[in-house]
Amino acid sequence: MNSFSVKQLFTFEKTPLNLLMAFITIGLLAAFAAGAVAYLIHGHHAYNVTRQHPWGLLISMYVFFVVSSTGLCIISSIGHVFGIPEFQQIGKRAIAGAIITISSGFAVIGLEIGHPMTMVIYNVLTPGLTSAIWWMGTLYGLYLAFICMEFFFLAIKENHKLSKFFGIGGLLVGLAAHSNLGAVFGFLISRPSANGVFYPVYFILSAMITGCYLVFLMYGFRYKMNFPEKVTVMLTKLSKILGMLLAVLIFFEIWKILTALYGDMPERAATILHTIKHPNFWFGEVILGMLIPFTIILLSNAKAIKATIYASITGMIGIFFMRYDLVHDTLIYPMTMLKRSEYQLPPTFLEYFPSPAEFAVGFGGIGLCLFLYYIADKVFNLDESHSH
Amino acid sequence: MARYGMALNYKNCINCRACETACKEENGVLLGRDNYRIWVGVKEAEGEFPNISIMSQVYHPSQCQHCDNAPCQQVCPTNATYYDENHVVRVNPTKCILCTYCINACPYDARYVDNRTVTVDKCNFCSDTRLANGETTTACQATCPTKVRVFGDLDDPKSEISQLLATKEYRRVKEHLGTEPKLFYIL
Repeated sequence: MNSFSVKQLFTFEKTPLNLLMAFITIGLLAAFAAGAVAYLIHGHHAYNVTRQHPWGLLISMYVFFVVSSTGLCIISSIGHVFGIPEFQQIGKRAIAGAIITISSGFAVIGLEIGHPMTMVIYNVLTPGLTSAIWWMGTLYGLYLAFICMEFFFLAIKENHKLSKFFGIGGLLVGLAAHSNLGAVFGFLISRPSANGVFYPVYFILSAMITGCYLVFLMYGFRYKMNFPEKVTVMLTKLSKILGMLLAVLIFFEIWKILTALYGDMPERAATILHTIKHPNFWFGEVILGMLIPFTIILLSNAKAIKATIYASITGMIGIFFMRYDLVHDTLIYPMTMLKRSEYQLPPTFLEYFPSPAEFAVGFGGIGLCLFLYYIADKVFNLDESHSH
Repeated sequence: MARYGMALNYKNCINCRACETACKEENGVLLGRDNYRIWVGVKEAEGEFPNISIMSQVYHPSQCQHCDNAPCQQVCPTNATYYDENHVVRVNPTKCILCTYCINACPYDARYVDNRTVTVDKCNFCSDTRLANGETTTACQATCPTKVRVFGDLDDPKSEISQLLATKEYRRVKEHLGTEPKLFYIL
């Protein structure tokens, strides 16, 4: 741990980038607070969720944060769990990021779940063991405990053996939790476009990609694009891993779409056809999330580190669209196709756009992440210990 | 203990919606776009004037199907959704955390958020308001002017519903999902 005072905590070099980040962080934190107040006053009426579209942006953002956390945990484990030397320097920074992102995810979901205290009580008293949400929530709680212990033994009381022990535990529980999060959607027999094995597997893959993007962004900001040789070597190798993961993701997506469209199966084919025509998919997910980073890595033979860091920004925007579409596309097909009142057209694909309160809480969660990361960077030494 | 279900002579439905009104009145369902336990779906007549197929217009009364293998019950993380002693799918508002996973999981759009308890609510075959008082009919059944609905114990071979299902052809909605719904639409 670094020695610090409150004054030191809020003192930073006034570069344009730092000031911009400070303004963004404060703005997003204020938005989070405003959204939280709106929710506490109006409940779910502050959100644009409906009976037919009961989940919205906040579930997407929760998934976004926990995907980020699991991804950082997986990527960090390359170094200090699997022992690849170049990646050991990531450990503390990535695990700090994993704790921060999952905490932000819990903060966001806390403002979406109607009765979080009831959840804490009855998750224990009357557990629904057939529920993917129960397993996901319980395992994520355990995962948070593991990675906190891992960070404690990495950054506060250095103990390589124990940090590795908790690292392995965190990785395994995190993988289980995260695939259960995929199963939350995959188990929905009522939603043919989501039902099946795809999501539990895809979630792990997209988590690893998210973890790579975030490591690039954290290191880009940490070293202000002037990387020491050791970091350049690590980022080049990470870039190759990212390229391979993106190729696998593109392959997965193509086959998911083809199998969904093939045979024109009722509900599933129409849903997928509708969603792939939307700019959220082809621009957000495909171009921003996959093709821009993949093309840069491919054309530069994974050597264009700076370009890859900029591409990680588009990559994270793409990841956001992947999470948003995951929720929206799953719910887009109405469960009943008969009209219910006289002055109504027959139901068609559902419309949903988040309310200002949903935007405030959901994107405000990013402010929480930035703020907590800033504090963590001040309080702890997140670089590799023996280099200092 | 009974295993309650409902048969619907849906071709007799005249879309008067007395059942919707009776349900709201009996169970105190609040007004509002999304607040309804039962409804009548309307499939409009097909074709263009003058060749309109009158037979293609269908009124389809619907509600919770009280599945024997209910997806909403399986996905509930706190077992707030449960089968009561009469195999009616019920929600315990004390345990409901309002994650709304059950609303996503229900293939029949049968669930909504009750703003009185701020928990998920649904049809319970008038368990609290009528069955608990020893009555053997539901409000929607009692009020229907064309006697669309027949409610009763599926495990009792002498009950009206069992007799009806033994002699008539019927279909169930989205049966292919394996939910084993207990609403039977008489053909």
